[in-house]
Amino acid sequence: MNHEARLREQCRGAVQAAKQCGAEEVEVFAQTSRTISVEIEKHDLQTSSSQQETMIGVRAFVGQRVGFACTNVLDELDATCADAVKLAKASPRDEHNILPEPVPVPAIGGLYDPAAESFSVADAVQHAIRMIETAEAMDRRLVLGGGSFAANLSTQCVVTTSGVDVAQNGSLFTFYALATAKDGAKVSNMAFHFDASHVVDGIDVVPVATHACRDALGSLGAEKGTSFVGPVVLSPNAVQSILVGLFSFQLNAKNALRGASRWGGSLGQSIAASTLTVVDDGCLPGGVATATFDREGMPHRKLVLIENGVPRALMHNAYTARAMKADNTAHASGSARSIPGIGPTNLSIAPGTTTKDELIGEIKNGLLVNRFSGSSNPISGDYSGVAKAAYLIKDGKLDRPVTGTLIAGNAFESLNKLTGISSDTERVFTAILPYIRIDDVSVTAE
Amino acid sequence: MQDLLARIAAQAGGWVELRFQGRSTQQISVRNGELEESSSKRIQGIGVRALVDGVFGFASTTDLREASILETVSAAQSAAKTSAGAKKHRIPGLAAATMGVGMYPVDTADPLDNHPLEEKLELVLRIDERIRNGSSSIVSSSTSYAEIQDEKIIVTSDGARTHLFVAIPEFRVMAVAAKDGNQCFGMKANGVNGGWSDLFAAMSPEDMADYAVRTAVEQLTAPVPQGGLATVVLDPGLVGVLSHEAIGHTVEADIVLGGAITAEKMNEKVASELITMVDSGASEHAPHATGTLPVDDEGVATRKTTLIENGVLRSYLHNRETAAHFDVEPTGNARAFEYSDAPIIRMRNTYIEPGDTPVEDLIADVQDGYYMCGLGFGGQADSNAEFMFGVREAHRIHNGKLGEVVRGATISGNAFDVLSSVDAVGNDFQWDLGAGTCGKSQYAKVDAGGPHLRCKATIGGRQ
Repeated sequence: MNHEARLREQCRGAVQAAKQCGAEEVEVFAQTSRTISVEIEKHDLQTSSSQQETMIGVRAFVGQRVGFACTNVLDELDATCADAVKLAKASPRDEHNILPEPVPVPAIGGLYDPAAESFSVADAVQHAIRMIETAEAMDRRLVLGGGSFAANLSTQCVVTTSGVDVAQNGSLFTFYALATAKDGAKVSNMAFHFDASHVVDGIDVVPVATHACRDALGSLGAEKGTSFVGPVVLSPNAVQSILVGLFSFQLNAKNALRGASRWGGSLGQSIAASTLTVVDDGCLPGGVATATFDREGMPHRKLVLIENGVPRALMHNAYTARAMKADNTAHASGSARSIPGIGPTNLSIAPGTTTKDELIGEIKNGLLVNRFSGSSNPISGDYSGVAKAAYLIKDGKLDRPVTGTLIAGNAFESLNKLTGISSDTERVFTAILPYIRIDDVSVTAE
Repeated sequence: MQDLLARIAAQAGGWVELRFQGRSTQQISVRNGELEESSSKRIQGIGVRALVDGVFGFASTTDLREASILETVSAAQSAAKTSAGAKKHRIPGLAAATMGVGMYPVDTADPLDNHPLEEKLELVLRIDERIRNGSSSIVSSSTSYAEIQDEKIIVTSDGARTHLFVAIPEFRVMAVAAKDGNQCFGMKANGVNGGWSDLFAAMSPEDMADYAVRTAVEQLTAPVPQGGLATVVLDPGLVGVLSHEAIGHTVEADIVLGGAITAEKMNEKVASELITMVDSGASEHAPHATGTLPVDDEGVATRKTTLIENGVLRSYLHNRETAAHFDVEPTGNARAFEYSDAPIIRMRNTYIEPGDTPVEDLIADVQDGYYMCGLGFGGQADSNAEFMFGVREAHRIHNGKLGEVVRGATISGNAFDVLSSVDAVGNDFQWDLGAGTCGKSQYAKVDAGGPHLRCKATIGGRQ
């Protein structure tokens, strides 16, 4: 029996075990993960590792009460099923607790590369070395303070009493570099860049190391900036820090159900400049979060969340879809270690028509922020933090790097003061994002 | 299990470290009176680290049979050999250390398992209701209880024989108040290394709920602070966050070697003479700090490590590898979150030693400034000690008296500059980061705290 078939059998067995303990409905989500990784530290290889784990999560329903238990001790799976039932029986009833009915799950190509099966620690070591060599070739002042190359093979199964019985295999290579530049007593900001590929042929660590190193070098010798209220260009990385959490929170149906989302009750009303379109697509070719089904076994699909500045849809799982009498959009998120939540898959902001350089070229006095280190409150919309690897913009050109510069604003207001979206986009973890330009941001030089 | 691991370690050939970890967790989350989650988790496995040809390799397994553990040892040794050829700097050896030998139980008279699920669930539901009934402005509440219970057996080929138990319960509350389209939060979270009654010794769950309600409601009508440099009195919570996030990470020896600002500052003055900062495996000044651990995950007995002594940088935080590099004794800071994590340098309980100024005097001497309490939303710091933290509760100080509340405040600056500006340190002490989880490629339960202190820092706010 192959690995996937064996995991499916374990799930089916756990469903029966939970029913015998008194569960009326059961969902079993199992995930096997095999990982090889090589860490970079102090500009050198650090620990190499190989690991494997199977985690099984059991969600038991007793009279619309729910309990969840999980384990990686497969010999104790019956006890885990009993735990889930016990937790369910002690819980308050909630009429919206439900398992989704099965829906056919179409296959998606390119998620699993058989060549990943023979990927070795030695292969991972070669990629890690290439990142270090890339930094060395660029500038002797650079140090890769951290970094990682990891290869992961996973199998996931969902089996439920409602008839869901699905499995998927995936391979994913992820790699990042953390670069710092040092010149005498001057230390740059730490710069970070990440990329990923589902297939062996798609692995290219050089641009990742190059990008992190370029940002680190750029912030060397940065000095105090100036204070003003005006236009700011946010890099994809900064957009991720300031806006992705806001979109994820505000468009999460559970938050709308709780009354915590400003946009939840006003779908169809403009909340941003008409150039803003936000899409989530769990089927996106090559996307880091691409997978055939969600945490509840429902097939992923493309969903337009915001269209031309107008919120059009919320992200749902089975619970919120039932509670709000809406379509289940297959946004159940999480792992075998937790009950299903709601979250985006591959979230993207649709690219605009101007280049990054054109966005900058139209600014008389402004700031380019390559990384944002601070807080962005997804409920109030207030954001405030340090602009890292930041440059003053003067007469349409990057003038000089600045340090100790704070930016602050309110994201709900900023979305209406969005004056430009770049045509060039970058992958930031699971998101695909452009550079964006916002007016009237408060910039404070310390 | 310990005997089996010791036998395997002795026969492995070369240096090996075997860590068994069995972990049970429980989580109860309620929001607006509705149960979001009631769950339990049970994981166990063995992590093996091997040092071959001056390189570490790591492997882990969930199969506790002898044959599988032996295979895992081989996998770790093989991973090390594979990267040995490409590694620039081989590890010449590990620093000698006092290895932990013995059994270390949880320090409590009131173990978590004596309290049934029903009691914990009832408390969470009751406190959540108290938040919603706390004020007509409250539109949302959330309350949660979480616990981690660990059993660890740590064995190394050079003498560690540790059998360690840890129990960490946490309780969190959050209130959201709304008025005229404005939304504000109040929150409080406590955690300890200990038992059920230890969790609520410093503050009852009812008082936590009332605090969250009060701070949320007060902020509704509060102005945003003026941006700029200001005189600030920090509470023990923010002193702890500053010590951990902004200073602590920059003295972790792996970060130092990666190019932190502290690399060239050993034995130099980096803070006011009033500042002595410590990271310790024990819970000094007050009991049950969350980061308390007698032995680290390399099997090294932990020490009280004075990082900054009267303003002068005196020590980094070490594992056995970096201690050998710097030719010092290991400090017992190697920690792994789960069996499948290799130990890395982490903090434990990080704090500033109390001074001799009564807290009232810290405030009474400020003509115009801010009193800031606790970590709010967000916070980040860099290896050059630049930081930015959201503040949970902030007040103006006018003419030596606490004045109006301000909302959405942030504090930022360079942590060494901030600590150099300290002109008075309070004579009180409190742990406040007990519910905090530190992320550095893996999680760690840490604590931090200190006294109140007065300094200069940049306050964030919109112009």
